[in-house]
Amino acid sequence: MRELFRITRQPELENASLIVGWERDAGGVATRVIDYIIKSIKGKSFCEIEPIDFFQLGGVEVDNDVAQFSGNRLFAGGMKDLILFMGNQPQFNHFRFLNVMLDVAHNHCQIKELYTISATVSSIPYNSPRQILAVYNTQEFQNSLRTYELMDMTWEGPPALNSFLLFTAKMRHIPGVSLWPEIPFYLATVDDYRAQKSTLGFFNKRFNLNIGLDILDEAIERQSREMLKLRKQDPQVDHYMKLLDKRVSLSQEDSINLANKVSQFLFNK
Amino acid sequence: MPKSQRIIDNMQKRINIPYKDLNMGAKIYKEPTLKNPVLLCGWPGIGNIGITAIDTLKRAVEAEELGEIEPWDFFYPHKVVIENGLLKDLEFPKNKFYFKKLQKFDLIFFIADEQPADVKGGYASGKKAYEIANLVLDIGLKFGCQRVYTSGAAVAQIHHTTKPRVWAVPNSVELIDELRKYKNTVFMSGIEGRRGQGTISGLNGLMLGIAKNRGLEAICLMGEIPYYLQWIPLPYSKASQSVLEVLTQIFNITMDFNLFNQYVEKTEKSIEELISTFLQSLPEHIRERVEAGIEDLKGKPAQLGPITDEEVKWFKEHGDKFLEDFFKKDDEENERTL
Repeated sequence: MRELFRITRQPELENASLIVGWERDAGGVATRVIDYIIKSIKGKSFCEIEPIDFFQLGGVEVDNDVAQFSGNRLFAGGMKDLILFMGNQPQFNHFRFLNVMLDVAHNHCQIKELYTISATVSSIPYNSPRQILAVYNTQEFQNSLRTYELMDMTWEGPPALNSFLLFTAKMRHIPGVSLWPEIPFYLATVDDYRAQKSTLGFFNKRFNLNIGLDILDEAIERQSREMLKLRKQDPQVDHYMKLLDKRVSLSQEDSINLANKVSQFLFNK
Repeated sequence: MPKSQRIIDNMQKRINIPYKDLNMGAKIYKEPTLKNPVLLCGWPGIGNIGITAIDTLKRAVEAEELGEIEPWDFFYPHKVVIENGLLKDLEFPKNKFYFKKLQKFDLIFFIADEQPADVKGGYASGKKAYEIANLVLDIGLKFGCQRVYTSGAAVAQIHHTTKPRVWAVPNSVELIDELRKYKNTVFMSGIEGRRGQGTISGLNGLMLGIAKNRGLEAICLMGEIPYYLQWIPLPYSKASQSVLEVLTQIFNITMDFNLFNQYVEKTEKSIEELISTFLQSLPEHIRERVEAGIEDLKGKPAQLGPITDEEVKWFKEHGDKFLEDFFKKDDEENERTL
């Protein structure tokens, strides 16, 4: 029978934790954070999930003028207690895909914990601190992370793939947490460096990664300056921002307008 | 090999193997001994015609729960429940079996909240649809089923005030004479322009084919729905009523239709309102033509498709787009997920 994944080497791991992110996520939070961690631990891909059962494979998408065909890969590095997954959300056979990922992580790498990264959009000012909302699949794991200033979430609605993954991990008795850093809705299509920094800060603390956050501090300052410039240039954006500062919700039309203006302005920078 | 022997062989192969070892993805709560059971399958589709009919019959005979198909492999969950930071539940579409013992034969119902599809919003197709159809038949065979009924919609050129007929499609010629006995049924050969040919999309069709391959008799009963209501986000209960009338004839079940008739009246009212809102939403030149087209169908016997090639072309260019946009616009709104 055809294997659904390809392992190119067996990483040396001890009590590993798995961190999962999906490409093209809101605010680039998972993408950037996982990238920073991979670089920091000198991680290298050791496993790839075969796409054929999970993607239509009817061509390639072009993003930023470049054809995209990234794989679904697991990385491990010198640091023995971390493996990271970065890939595209499957188009079908979601449950099988999540199980393939956990088969590798659990059966081959004996992970003890799962962390997922996504972002939740919110009507917050761009310069406000980013809280990280959290969802756990066991009470014990929730209790063990009490000191990390994560906010417990309460919510009912359509599930994201990370919630499905958390559920699948629970079925396999793997404790896990989904991290949902808040990002301003108008930064969803660009980088939200503040959310990236708070999420990376969590992993720094949790795994003693000692990743320098200076690059992100610089990016935050640069983005704040750009936002100020946009506010000066465009009185409507300034008006929206003042409303958000006062915690006044914008109408759907105004929200779309603001998001378009901000993403267009920052993208062109 | 005679058909009945193939059925017995199939049954024995499955009965002798425990479920856990079969890795069937189904859970059975009870092991009743059923006599000549017939399997009735209902799942959502156009106007929810089939599922409404089958589910109403299931309720009318007060069928008991028998088991379910484990949903993870087939469906994406539709709701997550998070309380104080804890993932409490992930709700999946339900796919349950029920049974009812009657005097001469017994009934097994399979009622599904969703048809499995590889691509969101599409009809059941491909591997998942094939697997679930086989799984449903596995359970039917395990209890000795020899016949399967499915039900869905037949998109037709009828007016919404016309009583829908029931298109009957069996999976073997031997069943045709039997089906002729039932009032208000029609075969595809009886529909103008059809010449006995057509397609049945999704699980309703697939089930007939797979049942045939596995040596089971199967019949699909499709209630007529007006062409212009195929995108309607409401159940087309009038057609379900027609299917239900056929089913009660087949199984010789006496059913009190009073409550269901009230439901039909209520949904008909909503449909009238929806049609009126839809017509008002159209640009005037389009509205006049669509209105006239609908009015023209009043009192006419059901026909299969648009009347002329010109009409087909016009509907493709104008009517389809407006109908689809109008009735499907809510589905396209993005929902927040967590």
